[in-house]
Amino acid sequence: MSEMAGSVQAGARASFGRRLGAWLIDVILIDIVSAIILLAGGRGVAYVVGIVLWLAYFTYFEGSDTGQTLGKRALGIRVYDFAGGAGAIGYGRGFVRAIMKYISGIPCALGYLWMLWDKEKQTWHDKVATTVVVPVSDYPV
Amino acid sequence: MPGGAIVLDPKDLRPAGAAMLAVAAVLPVLPGDPGVPCPLRTLTGVPCPLCGMTTSVVATVHLHLGEALAANPMGVVAVLAALVLLVARPRSLRLPSLVASAALAGMWAFELHRFAVI
Repeated sequence: MSEMAGSVQAGARASFGRRLGAWLIDVILIDIVSAIILLAGGRGVAYVVGIVLWLAYFTYFEGSDTGQTLGKRALGIRVYDFAGGAGAIGYGRGFVRAIMKYISGIPCALGYLWMLWDKEKQTWHDKVATTVVVPVSDYPV
Repeated sequence: MPGGAIVLDPKDLRPAGAAMLAVAAVLPVLPGDPGVPCPLRTLTGVPCPLCGMTTSVVATVHLHLGEALAANPMGVVAVLAALVLLVARPRSLRLPSLVASAALAGMWAFELHRFAVI
């Protein structure tokens, strides 16, 4: 376990460009579904469903064994347990990470941009969920 | 960390800079005036150091330098930094912590003055 943890710390990290690309794909996918619900159910319903959809989407995919959303799969990156092990964080921490994404976005997306100067390239939601985002080339699924 | 430096990865900053320039170029033509209201200023009336940055970066990209400098002078610096990153492609970047802290403090003082808090 401690050996695994050592291999995760200061290892390869997904670049900002790839993470931004993956984020765009995910957000567009969620927005398409939200737009359909908006047309079918109206504004109030779409707002609530949009939030639930966001939380469910990221919890399910990033909490899964691969740690990949559809966007992350397309860009060849994955969420990885910073404590090491097999890398999977489980649905509980995936849920915490999904909620924290909202907070990361509030102050001018500062929580997202944090990875630009962070030593482990962690966003705020990475720090809270004790995760890093890594390239699949270095951490195979 | 006084005396230290913030190490930045140009591989990360280049797409970030490119995205910033692209968004600034298209933001004025998007429908519905999509700005980013500052949560701190919305809730408390007190501006944050980054207030005016969207306005400033958009104005700089469209060469309205007067408007940019009035909103937040750091927007002009951000656009220049993005251009240098994309054109000169430096291998590594180190920003002394003191410079970063001083810049943020200066930006905050500017915004507090602009919104007549001080």
